[in-house]
Formats: sequence, C-alpha cells, structure tokens
Amino acid sequence: MSGAGGKIGVTAPMLELRDVARAFPVRDALGRSKGAVRAVDGVSLSVPRGSVLAIVGESGCGKSTLGRLALRLIEPDSGSILFEGEDLRSLSAAALRARRRDMQLIFQDPFASLDPRMTVEQAVAEPLRLHGIVPRAKERDRVAELLSRVGLRPELARRWPHEFSGGQRQRIAIARALASGPKLIVGDEPVSALDVSVQAQVINLLQDLIRELGLTFVLISHDLGVVRHIADRVAVMYLGRIVEEGPAAEVFGNPKHPYTRALLAAVPGQGRGAAALLEGDVPSPINPPSGCRFRTRCPHAEAICAEQVPPLADHGHRAACHLQHQLPPAIARHERDAGGERLKRLQAFFSDQRTGE
Amino acid sequence: MADPVLELRDVTISFPTDRGLLRPVDGISFAVAPGRTTAVVGESGCGKSVTALAIMGLLPSGGRIGGSIRLAGREVSTLTPEEWRGKRGGEMAMVFQEPMTSLNPAFTAGEQVAEALRIHQRLDPKAAFDRAVEMLARVRIPDAARRARQYPHQLSGGMRQRVMIAMALACRPRLLIADEPTTALDVTVQAQILALIDEMKRETGTAVVLITHDLGVVADHADDVVVMYAGRVAERAPAEQLFATPQHPYTIGLLGAAPKLEGGAARLASIEGTVPDLLHPPAGCRFAARCPFAIEKCREQSPPLGEVLPGHNVACWRAPLDTLLEVAA
Repeated sequence: MSGAGGKIGVTAPMLELRDVARAFPVRDALGRSKGAVRAVDGVSLSVPRGSVLAIVGESGCGKSTLGRLALRLIEPDSGSILFEGEDLRSLSAAALRARRRDMQLIFQDPFASLDPRMTVEQAVAEPLRLHGIVPRAKERDRVAELLSRVGLRPELARRWPHEFSGGQRQRIAIARALASGPKLIVGDEPVSALDVSVQAQVINLLQDLIRELGLTFVLISHDLGVVRHIADRVAVMYLGRIVEEGPAAEVFGNPKHPYTRALLAAVPGQGRGAAALLEGDVPSPINPPSGCRFRTRCPHAEAICAEQVPPLADHGHRAACHLQHQLPPAIARHERDAGGERLKRLQAFFSDQRTGE
Repeated sequence: MADPVLELRDVTISFPTDRGLLRPVDGISFAVAPGRTTAVVGESGCGKSVTALAIMGLLPSGGRIGGSIRLAGREVSTLTPEEWRGKRGGEMAMVFQEPMTSLNPAFTAGEQVAEALRIHQRLDPKAAFDRAVEMLARVRIPDAARRARQYPHQLSGGMRQRVMIAMALACRPRLLIADEPTTALDVTVQAQILALIDEMKRETGTAVVLITHDLGVVADHADDVVVMYAGRVAERAPAEQLFATPQHPYTIGLLGAAPKLEGGAARLASIEGTVPDLLHPPAGCRFAARCPFAIEKCREQSPPLGEVLPGHNVACWRAPLDTLLEVAA
C-alpha cells in the first residue's frame, strides 16, 4: 500500500527538470515576426517518487507548457528533462515511445479528451494495445478492472462518451491514463471543469489512486484549495518562471514571495475586504519586465528588482525575491470556519462510497 | 426591510422539448432589497442562470414564465419584448460570465458604454461618450480616455469585465444581475472585480443578484443567500446565518466538498451521485437520492420551504438536523 516510499532518497527523483526553457514565436497579422513568448524560461524542479507536486499560477504563466515539456510532448529549446535519471531528450523516437507507458497526461476537459466515436472499452483498451500490455484475450477483464478501480461499473464499458456526465467522463479519462500502468501522471487542471460536489468525488479518487498505486503526480492547477488539499510540494509560477517552491504546508503557511502572498490573499472566503488587492493585470509575456517579472505589480519593489533577476535557491522552501528577508511577516490567513463542530459532525454523514453513479 | 427592488414569487420556467416539458426552475421565491447583494448559488443545471435570464426577459424562444416577477413593485413577467427592452440597460442590467462574447467586437469600449446613455438618458453622442469615459475611469480602467477608443480585442479579460460593469451601471440601474462575473478570470483579477461591484453597489444603492457556484465568493460578498438545487430553493437565509448554521443537507455537503486553504480534512465530504433528470424529476425531495439523511417521506413528498429560524428557510423534512446529532451523541 505504501508504494515506492522505501526508495525515496536512494534513487533518482522520478522527474527532474534542469533549467528548461521554451519560447513560442509570435507573428502579427501579416506574418512578420513580433518576437517570442518565453512561456517557460529557465525552470528547475525535482519531483520525488510517490510525491505530488503542484504547479500553480494564473493563465499565461506557463504552467501547462511546463507540464507538456515535462513529458516531452513539446520540445524544450534548452535544458534537460530527467525521467528516473534518464534524459528524455537523449532518447530515440522509438525509445521515447516505449517510455511513454510510464508517463501519462490527464486533461481538463473530459468532453474534449475522449473520442466520441470510441466506446468506453475501446478508449480504455487503446493504451493497453498500443503498449502491448495484456494479451487480447485478457483485454476485456483488464478494462473492467480499470473501470471499477475508478469507481465505474464495468457494465458501462459498451457505452459511448456522450452517455456520461462530466464527472464520469473524467473517471474514464483517469482509467485510460492508468491503463498502461504509469509511474508518473501529469494532471492539467483535472478537476477544474467539474462542479464542486463532483469535483470532491474525483479529488478523493485521485488521492486514493496516488496513495494505493504509489503514483508520482504533477498537478497543474489555478485552484489553490485543490492544491492545498492534494499536493506535497507547490511551485508557484509567474510569467514563465518559478517564483516560489517548497513543501505545501510551508508555502501556504509562510509564503515568502509577494506574488504568492497576493495569490493566497485573493482566494475568496477569507472575509470581506481581507485581501490587499493586487493592482492591474499580468504584463505581456512577449515583453516581460526586466529583473523580477513581478516588480510592476509588487507593492514592495525597489530599484534592485528592475536591475537584477532574483535568483532561486536549489532546494528547501525557496523564493526568487531580492527582498524576501526584509518583507513584513506573512499575514496569518484567516479562513472562516463559521459552521464549527456542528457542521463537521453533520458533514461526517457524507461518507465516501467511491462510486461513479 | 425596505421595499424589495426585485421579488420573485413561485416562479416557474418551462421549455417544451421533444421529450416533454422541461422545467429548469420549479416554484422559486426570493426578494432583493436595495443596496443589498443576494447570492444565488448552486451547481450546473440548478436553474440559477435561467432564472437570471427570465428576470431580464432574455429567455430563449419557447421559454415560459409562471408565477410573478416584480421589479420595483411592477410585474415584469408579462411585459412585451418591446417593453422589456426599455427596461434593460436602464432599470435593470446584467453582467455575464464571458466578457468577450458579450461585448460587440465592432464597436469601441467607449461607444458601447455610451450607447446605453444615449438610449436611456437621451444624452447627445458627445455628452454620452464623455460620460462613458468617466464611467470607465470609475471602474478603474487606467488611461480611460485612450482605452475608450479601443476595441474589445485590445483589452485584457479583466479590463473587458470592467467595461461590462461600466456599461451595466452607466444608467444607475435599480437591479444588477451578475452571472458568474468572475468565473473566467484569474483569482487576483476576480478579487478586483468583486470589490468593484461591492463599491458601485454602495455608491448607487443598486440591488445586486450575484449568481455563482463559489461559496467563498458568497461568504465574502453576499448579504443574503439562496441555495438552489435542481430547479428549487433548498435553503434561503442571511449569509452569516447560512454559514454559521446551514440547515439543508445539500448546503452542508457543498460546504464540505469545497477544498479549504487550510488543508485540514483528509477527505472531502462527497455528495455521491448526480443531479436528477429534470424531464423526469423525482416525486419527493429532489436531493433525496444523494442525501445521507433521507427517509421514506423524503422520496415520496416534496418538502415545502419552511422557516426554521427567523429569516432562515429550508426545504427539508428532516430539518432541523441537530436532533440527529443529539441522537448520535
């Protein structure tokens, strides 16, 4: 049950990114080059086996691009991507294809990620066949097993995607991702399109699977509540760079970077007017500010912030901020717990049966 | 409570479909006082957005309204499309979730704000445009005079939503309906927009109906809350009271299903199952199939919305649930 826990610290991390960068060219209406969006600009991260790393940030910060780079679904311009210590960039096309069974991606939109012309069984069996995982004769059994694993009745295998609700489709997408027996799963906003009550079901399912199968999980999300709930470590991105990274409890409890603080303060539900509001919008990634990219919105910025790119330490709870040691202490966050003990006891009646109906 | 700006009484909305009559809203009642925000909260399909459209007279064709919708004491559900058009943008206004699709790409931001002023306040084009620039500055669009001459595609998502708010509030409407106004926006921008709506409400005394699925937003910005489930009101209460002593099992489950920033609970409360098919709604309580407290009566008879505490109404046969806790303890 405890999965790969014993190996931690002995072997290489499941995934390691070293100074990974990727830019996309931008052209104007006439096709003339207008520069490039540096979507991911020098990111280094390490994901230990069996752990959950969340990458958080607002739209355009580069978190989805980073997720795809981590699986080498898009090519980096520079840097290296180590999967179990092996550089994915050095693999031949065939070797990379074989490696793909170990790493899977779950997308946000379960309405777009399933082929409407494939039954559930076909969709879930496809990766089994692609990687030659079970003999054809055993395929149906394996699909049934995968479906019950994600809380769907195996009898549903002959149905079509349109017959399912959003939550059920996301369960099917998860079953499909699990089919090849991956070691690493990247979930790109896997629960963001779901209603709260269904979202809770799928979060509980993901947590069970991560624990029981010893999965390593990279969660890409803009939802800090979801992140706090499942991540062991959190990396906060802003305009293509990591601004803060560390154990989830520390990043949430004692955020060091002004952007992380602003992001946490902006989450609704902490009382009226609690948040010191961040002004303005995220600047254009085509022409990001010099030095610290957050300085144009930062209430603490000084001259040095425009002149020098703040460095990010290698490990621990790290933040890329020149002023991190002279900032006022983070304001203790105060979330309303209005319902108290009565509410907790009533909520305990909502036990979790792990069904997808 | 002052005379309500908006009052819904036993409102039913129905659409004919190939498979029978669909009733996405089935007998809901609530009222909104001037200068107050009433949040209508619920998940997809609960009927919250279609309620907003009905109030605005924007139901898709074939949609029928039963019951009574009163704006400042006057029945609006029986208005002709022509009469309704006269109210929209003037007495009542709406902000939608997606500012890109609700702004006209062929007109500048300033022209779109000015349009309402020309029509409802009969300002001449020059005066209307000047006033539009003023409104854009009021919603804190930096460099408003220049931005007023730009087209929607030249503005960021947050700025477009500010234009929508400027447009909606230009004529000081009695009623503003904001349907998931920040769902498409990033969290830091969301905070700015919600604060702006609050501020404008205080200034103009506009009554706000805030439609949202986010209980955190409700806690921070609503005075009163209507929790909807499958076309009906499950619970209705002042916001403070709703969060302190939620009564309906659906509200209780929903509060436990949202992940908290503190972390805390190892497992989220899970409301099993999915919403009922509204073409064939169940006979009893619509939440019964997913409710851990349900008894036989819940599956057979639909519970009325009854007052459990002053001003606090719940549609649940088992309310108050506290007696169950005493038994358990």
